[in-house]
Amino acid sequence: MNFIWMLFPTQIDKFWDIAKKGAVVIMSLGRVRVLEALWRLPATRLSASTVCPTVCRPLSSAGARSGPTSPDPQEQAGQVQQRPAKNTSKAMMAYLERATKHEEFMRKQVHEFEIGKRHLANMMGEDPEHFTQEDVDRAIEYLFPTGIFDKKARPKMRHPTEVFPQQKAAQFDATGRPFHTLFYTLKPNFYMTLYELVEKMNQLDRLQAKNDALGKLPDTTQKLSLLGSEWLDIEELGKMLVETLKEPQYQEFVRAMNRLVEHPLAYHHKDFIFKYRKMLRVSNETDTVPELLFDSAGRPYMEATGYRKRAVARAVVHGRGSGRVTVNGLPLVHYFHRDGGRSGNQDVAQVMYPLQVAGVLDSVDVEATVQYDGPTQRYHGKRRRGHRKRTSFVPEPWKRPHPVQAPSSQAGAVRHAVSLALRSFVDKEMQETMRLAGLLTRDVRERERYKPGKKGSRKGRTWKKR
Amino acid sequence: MDELKNDNQHAMSLYRSAVRLLPACLRVTSRRALVTSSARTKDHDLHLPTPAGPLGTWATLKPRPEKYVDTEADIDPSVTDPLRHPDYFGVRQLFTMSDLFDARVHLGHREGSLNPYMAEFLLGSRLGHCVFDLERTAQLLRDALNFTTHIAYRGGIIMFVCRSPQHVHMVERTAMECGEFSHCRHWPPGVFTDSTALFGGVTRLPDLLVLLNTLDTVLEQHGAVKHAAKMLIPTVGVVDSNCDPRLVTYPVPGNDDSTTAVRLYCKLFSEAIRRGKAEREKSAVV
Repeated sequence: MNFIWMLFPTQIDKFWDIAKKGAVVIMSLGRVRVLEALWRLPATRLSASTVCPTVCRPLSSAGARSGPTSPDPQEQAGQVQQRPAKNTSKAMMAYLERATKHEEFMRKQVHEFEIGKRHLANMMGEDPEHFTQEDVDRAIEYLFPTGIFDKKARPKMRHPTEVFPQQKAAQFDATGRPFHTLFYTLKPNFYMTLYELVEKMNQLDRLQAKNDALGKLPDTTQKLSLLGSEWLDIEELGKMLVETLKEPQYQEFVRAMNRLVEHPLAYHHKDFIFKYRKMLRVSNETDTVPELLFDSAGRPYMEATGYRKRAVARAVVHGRGSGRVTVNGLPLVHYFHRDGGRSGNQDVAQVMYPLQVAGVLDSVDVEATVQYDGPTQRYHGKRRRGHRKRTSFVPEPWKRPHPVQAPSSQAGAVRHAVSLALRSFVDKEMQETMRLAGLLTRDVRERERYKPGKKGSRKGRTWKKR
Repeated sequence: MDELKNDNQHAMSLYRSAVRLLPACLRVTSRRALVTSSARTKDHDLHLPTPAGPLGTWATLKPRPEKYVDTEADIDPSVTDPLRHPDYFGVRQLFTMSDLFDARVHLGHREGSLNPYMAEFLLGSRLGHCVFDLERTAQLLRDALNFTTHIAYRGGIIMFVCRSPQHVHMVERTAMECGEFSHCRHWPPGVFTDSTALFGGVTRLPDLLVLLNTLDTVLEQHGAVKHAAKMLIPTVGVVDSNCDPRLVTYPVPGNDDSTTAVRLYCKLFSEAIRRGKAEREKSAVV
């Protein structure tokens, strides 16, 4: 077979298989004039060693060029110059053109990156020789401060191999004949996975039939547990297979894998199954509840900060108490007073709720300070000119700490702070109960911004037919 | 033809008895007696021949003229050009009529779904089920296998196509084992006609398509048949009684739904390809 094989460094595993067959192997294209090389090589079979060593060089010196000064392989081998091998197809020529262009481009990018890294190191006053990627990230963050929310949109400097998508190596040989049997499906790796899946299903069915004949039952101790893991995302799977997948294909894959997993003997192919599963991170591993502190009197206490909208609250919960709750020095009911019109006091109930859930209503004392940290709110209703709240009865100053009622965001912040502090006083089960009750979650809802052309964030101006 | 008769008298006698059992009114004499599907396809856009009539079969299915085939040829490459030999690789020995019968290749679908262009390949129908003429099938299958072997001998790319879900795995495995290619999945329309865009560069297309089922999952003709014809890629296709054989270069009328039948086809085609490749290796060494 007079095949001439073109290989790239990514195909090192193919190198020896092909070289054994006695075909000529050309590695490390780069600036080597491939077509020239093809012209000069004889059509008859040659072992790699008899060809000019500058053309067939080991991968370690892949960067070196064999320029026009290299000795002519024909002169060395003593052969006559012949036409390029007839076997090289148009497909291969086109691919080689593309590949050389890409390699040229990548080399330029890598060179620019290395030079840029050295400049950056000099700018930061650090050693250019030992400037790692972490140092680069830090330097970029320092030199290009940005308020962009999306992390992916922020400026970054990475090695070109990370930035530019990985390209598949040559999919076919010099005659244009593809390597992969499913090449023409356009997604050979994906459909090969499905093929292997079915192959394994059939294997398991045959095994089960054999076991049934012998009266053997499946081993229940080895039963597959998929808890704590989930199937790879469509994007992650696509990245793994270096192919972009569409939704129906991905659904087919998931359905087929689920069927394999349902098989009683699926544990035999555990490795195959878990190759396509990702482990879920435990959600609470970063949340460690702090230990109780003790004051000079030996009383246990805990401090915590809570937030809601623009309010920030700081609560100190003392154990061995009697259920007294003070906010900003005032008793709870007086701070969150409500004059007329509303039944019940929602804000007081909000603050008491964590104590009720934990069952410590009469055994702890709470001292909270809360501050509303933001611009004056526009209250409900239109801001009418000349409107003033008229009250005939003016209570004592201590009964009306605010010109208007305290915003309920302060109550929410106090509740959050109290809940976080209470965690140290209760056991794991109660902490879980509190988490499920939503007491430990910071409520991220904020006031929606005003938009021009509207009255507020959503309400439109009066619509006039004409 | 002589070898066939010697090989399986039993199968032939079964056939004859089946035909004899048919009521006379159902026996195909004029080749137009069978009930055909009501929706006749228009040929304006296809420029294809009409169903065979009393004048005979189509030009594509006539045997090769004598001047191209040397019936006295010897299987010795130094003496005969493989292309001039009627059966250089001896594919006629790969199967017998009995094998076809056992694999239920002769069973077609019901009369209601019969394609008018398939009528000439049938012996008739029995209780509403179409029955293929295995003599004809055997002849065409030999031609198809011969062609496949020659393509493999010359290093061509052969691609198996089958959209029948229960046979996809078998066909893909067959293709893998004989070192060829397969496409038993969803067929994007531009695979052949817009290959440069889809594959991201100039690609060499298959030199032969072997269709083990010319219909896709919704019982419409597989896009590969038309596209291969557009790109001048020859096709070998197993055509059932509900298929349209017109665009297939080497139609093989027979059952494409039974697993036994598909298994037989896979075996035959893979063996044919292997023979061609073995001969290629031998001649390369020599």
